[in-house]
Amino acid sequence: MAAKSVPVMLSDVTKIFRDPKTKAEVHAVENANFDVKPGELVTLLGPSGCGKTTTLRMIGGFELPTRGKILIGDSDVTFLPPNVRQTATVFQSYGLFPHMDVFDNVAYGLKIRKLSQDEIKNRVNAVLDLVGLSELAHRAPGRLSGGQQQRVALARSLVVEPQVLLLDEPLSNLDALLREQMRVEIRRIQKSLGITAIYVTHDRIEAMSLSDRVIVMRDGRIQQVGTPGDIYEYPVSMFVAGFVGKVAFFPARLEGIEDDGRTALCTVGGRKVRAGSVAGNLGAGARAVVMARPESLRLVGREDAIATGMVTARVYLGSSVEIYVKTEAGEILVQIDDPSGKILPSEGETVWIGFDEKLVRALPAD
Amino acid sequence: MFTKKKLIMFAVVCAIFAVGEFWIFSTLQNTFEKNSIKEMTSLIKAMTSSAPQNDEDLAHWSEELSAIYPDNRFFVIKGVPGEEGSENIGGDSALFDIWKLPANATIAENAAESVSYLEVFRWPAKVSFLGVPYTLMVAPVPDEEDSSARATLLVAIDASGYVAFGKLVQSLAVVAFLLFSLGFGIATFSRDPISGYAILVLAAIVIAFVAYPLIEAVRLTLVKEGRFSFDVWKTILSNRQYLQALWGSIQLGIVTATLSTFIGFMYAFAVARTSMRGKRLVTGLATMPVISPPFSLTLSIILLFGKNGIITKQLLGLQNFNIYGLGGLALVQTISMFPIAFLTMQGVLQAIDSTLEDASLDLNASRWHTFAHVTLPLAAPGLLSSWLLVFTNSLADFANPLLLSGSYRVLSVESYIEVTGMGRLNNGAALSLLLLLPTLTAFLVQRRWVSKKSFVVVTGKPSTRLSDLASPGARRALTGFVAVVSGFIVALYATIVAGCFVKNWGIDYTFTLANIGEALARGKQALLSTITLAGIATPIAGILSMVAAFILVRKKFLGKRILESLIMTPFAIPGTLLGISFILAFNKPPLLLVGTGAILVINYVIRELPVGVEGGVAALRQIDPSIEEAASDLGADQATIFRTIILPLIRPAFISSMSYTFVRSMTAVSAIIFLISARWYHITIQIYNFSENLRFGLASVLSTMLIIIVLAVFGLMRLLVRQSEFLEKTVTTQ
Repeated sequence: MAAKSVPVMLSDVTKIFRDPKTKAEVHAVENANFDVKPGELVTLLGPSGCGKTTTLRMIGGFELPTRGKILIGDSDVTFLPPNVRQTATVFQSYGLFPHMDVFDNVAYGLKIRKLSQDEIKNRVNAVLDLVGLSELAHRAPGRLSGGQQQRVALARSLVVEPQVLLLDEPLSNLDALLREQMRVEIRRIQKSLGITAIYVTHDRIEAMSLSDRVIVMRDGRIQQVGTPGDIYEYPVSMFVAGFVGKVAFFPARLEGIEDDGRTALCTVGGRKVRAGSVAGNLGAGARAVVMARPESLRLVGREDAIATGMVTARVYLGSSVEIYVKTEAGEILVQIDDPSGKILPSEGETVWIGFDEKLVRALPAD
Repeated sequence: MFTKKKLIMFAVVCAIFAVGEFWIFSTLQNTFEKNSIKEMTSLIKAMTSSAPQNDEDLAHWSEELSAIYPDNRFFVIKGVPGEEGSENIGGDSALFDIWKLPANATIAENAAESVSYLEVFRWPAKVSFLGVPYTLMVAPVPDEEDSSARATLLVAIDASGYVAFGKLVQSLAVVAFLLFSLGFGIATFSRDPISGYAILVLAAIVIAFVAYPLIEAVRLTLVKEGRFSFDVWKTILSNRQYLQALWGSIQLGIVTATLSTFIGFMYAFAVARTSMRGKRLVTGLATMPVISPPFSLTLSIILLFGKNGIITKQLLGLQNFNIYGLGGLALVQTISMFPIAFLTMQGVLQAIDSTLEDASLDLNASRWHTFAHVTLPLAAPGLLSSWLLVFTNSLADFANPLLLSGSYRVLSVESYIEVTGMGRLNNGAALSLLLLLPTLTAFLVQRRWVSKKSFVVVTGKPSTRLSDLASPGARRALTGFVAVVSGFIVALYATIVAGCFVKNWGIDYTFTLANIGEALARGKQALLSTITLAGIATPIAGILSMVAAFILVRKKFLGKRILESLIMTPFAIPGTLLGISFILAFNKPPLLLVGTGAILVINYVIRELPVGVEGGVAALRQIDPSIEEAASDLGADQATIFRTIILPLIRPAFISSMSYTFVRSMTAVSAIIFLISARWYHITIQIYNFSENLRFGLASVLSTMLIIIVLAVFGLMRLLVRQSEFLEKTVTTQ
């Protein structure tokens, strides 16, 4: 049932709402520019209110952009209503038809397309097989578990063979274990069908583990577009760095950018440091910070320290131990791998923190 | 959306339509004109050929013609005007004044030439005398040899009908163009044309059948002999009789509202807050007056307490007891309206968080103290709002006072008498508008003040375990009170049923079945037409109200607030006003509907729409919008979504809106009494006529039948709604 994969392109898409009470303009999405390649799964990631759902709804046709253009394949769909677009949405609340059983829910789109009874039956059964719900075809949606309802919603969207699959926080109503299962399942199905998909979530782990590429949004603006690895290792701002993972920021003075902008010479905690990477938007003389992920931090002797502080908590996780240290730069998490046999500081003890220069990154300070 | 290409196409198509329409309508008008000229010419030929042969008699000819054709004006000239020997003989000299005007010299010359060739000449421009337009014709009176004109006749033919036709054609053309460009505009520019059309249709309906009649009613009170004037209002507000009616309505409203709220509160407290037994029976009995047809309770009050009433005459032996008036009205209105207060208060009392009362009791307050200082203050806004609700209902009530007011005056009946008895439509309209004043005040008080004072929504959930606030003694007293009132209601209905089988109430109590046969025979036609029209109105109101609810809840569009208030307006205005507005607006073109069944159907639909829309809106708010979005996403257009998703999901609201419309249409009185005709009669009016003629037996039979129909419809509705209850649950758990 794989349709031909198509790209999606947004150019300068802006959505301005007018607050019904205050009459003030709300810029929900501003100048969103990105494209999704055929067969790719791209995630819109950001805190609530960042405009990710609005962006998805504009692609699905539920909202009209104030400005800008949306292309699916070669055709401009900006002003087309949802029912004539080749998109299918899996809604956060599923939106299953409560007065129809599972089979009829999934068959709905095919009936609208006036397919023959036989074809409807075959296609519905095939897609129910794909999501593992063949047994429950004649159950009412009210009598399904959350995970099963989720699968029905997915099946109902897939059965019409959309060019683009849109998923709006599809897993947010499920418990943690089920969420992990469904995540794997969605990815498997999407890959096997080769369908272009756009996924909205505020959960960074979901975004990182599912996506070919991640688009991080904040206050209606796109902050960064990149592969999960890029976003995690090479964030462009403190916001992105903090949103996609745990991170420590050290105030720094930028001395110079070297190696054609690949490394930065900074002073951190009175010490000269050559940061292994540098954000492209960091200009010379700008206020800067040096970011370090917990796994690139370590406890060192006083002479190599960048920061110092008191241990507030020690969390044992098996393969690693997390040490929380209260410093002048705020609470810093140090992750120590392979803890067995190592001597670990206990709570209340003063420790010194250092990092591997090659693994830290210089960013513009907010 | 608005792309250049679409805008150009829209403009071009509209222009083509306008040109085509102009062509059609001007052809129409020309044809009409040609025909009317032909008719006029032959008429004038007939006149001139019957002209008196004798020249002396020509002097009286114009008078003779005026007597035969009073709408037209004539002027006779001997010979051909302007030629030698011509002489004005007589008639309306204003016609000749026009001829003589220097500006008309060329026309007059041409006319004289035509006359000398024995041809009828039509004056090219319309002329007008005293504001009435005329077509001026100049006709020769041929001599015996038919070779020359011996006289000339100037005829001014009344053209007001013709001018009115022209105006009608023009306005039709404008309306057609507006409708076309709106509809085509929606189709071109909207992403969702079906909803656009639905909005357009709804707007057209409420503008034509809510706004237009009401504006007509207001306009008529401000017009006298075609001019703007406050005369009607001056008369109304200075006439003792009318002011008495206004005061009478208010007085009755106050008494009824106070009594009803008191009884309603007792009932509500007994049902919601005590362990009294037989609550379901009490509640069921109390809701009977709400759904029972008009006149039935009045009828049974008359049977019990009237001049020949079984209690007043047979039991107490009173000779001159008079139930007609304020006392009787307050009694019957209280019985019919206290259930409104009861149902409102029951909701309020159930919503009060009983832990507050428990806390008070726990702090060693007595039960009475708790009731007076905790329960009552919490219930106060509810009490006031049910008082206002009953007050407005009492003012709008028409059926009860119609039968029972006697010499007591109330506005609703007064305006009815003005319209049907005196034929003073303006005064009737003004009086029913006056009725709006207290109603609107009450509505605003409710809106602005009571709703803000409400404490009750604190928890929202009805508490499950309620402490019994009444001491055993108080409970017994309360139960006794409720039992007496309920017993009275039972007695009232029993009386109506008994009335069916009695030969002549008050005089001859022998058992008979003759009433049933006679009532059926005489009421058959009315019953059939009532059922037919209610049956037509029901599905229309049902579908329309669900569509309106869907659009109001889910669609955003310009003027939504106005549309919503227009749809809801008939709920707030008394039926009398609506009825009077309808006859004022629809007894003339362009919508000449008075006397048809359609006007009744439209009235039913318009009046019951608000309730259906409210129900539909409440049901739709329960439904997750993503269900509809999912359907749209899967390719369904708005009409398909409405049919396959919305309607099945709001089925309970749909069914109850339909059964409500049916029942209310079957039991309507106040508006339709103005709109019925001999062909389309109404069963309730038949009951009224029987009662007025003291044929209480026949009235009882029809009332009983109507009660049975109403109960049957509500029973059926419950059955149908219960079947789809599982839906509601799955909808709300989403």
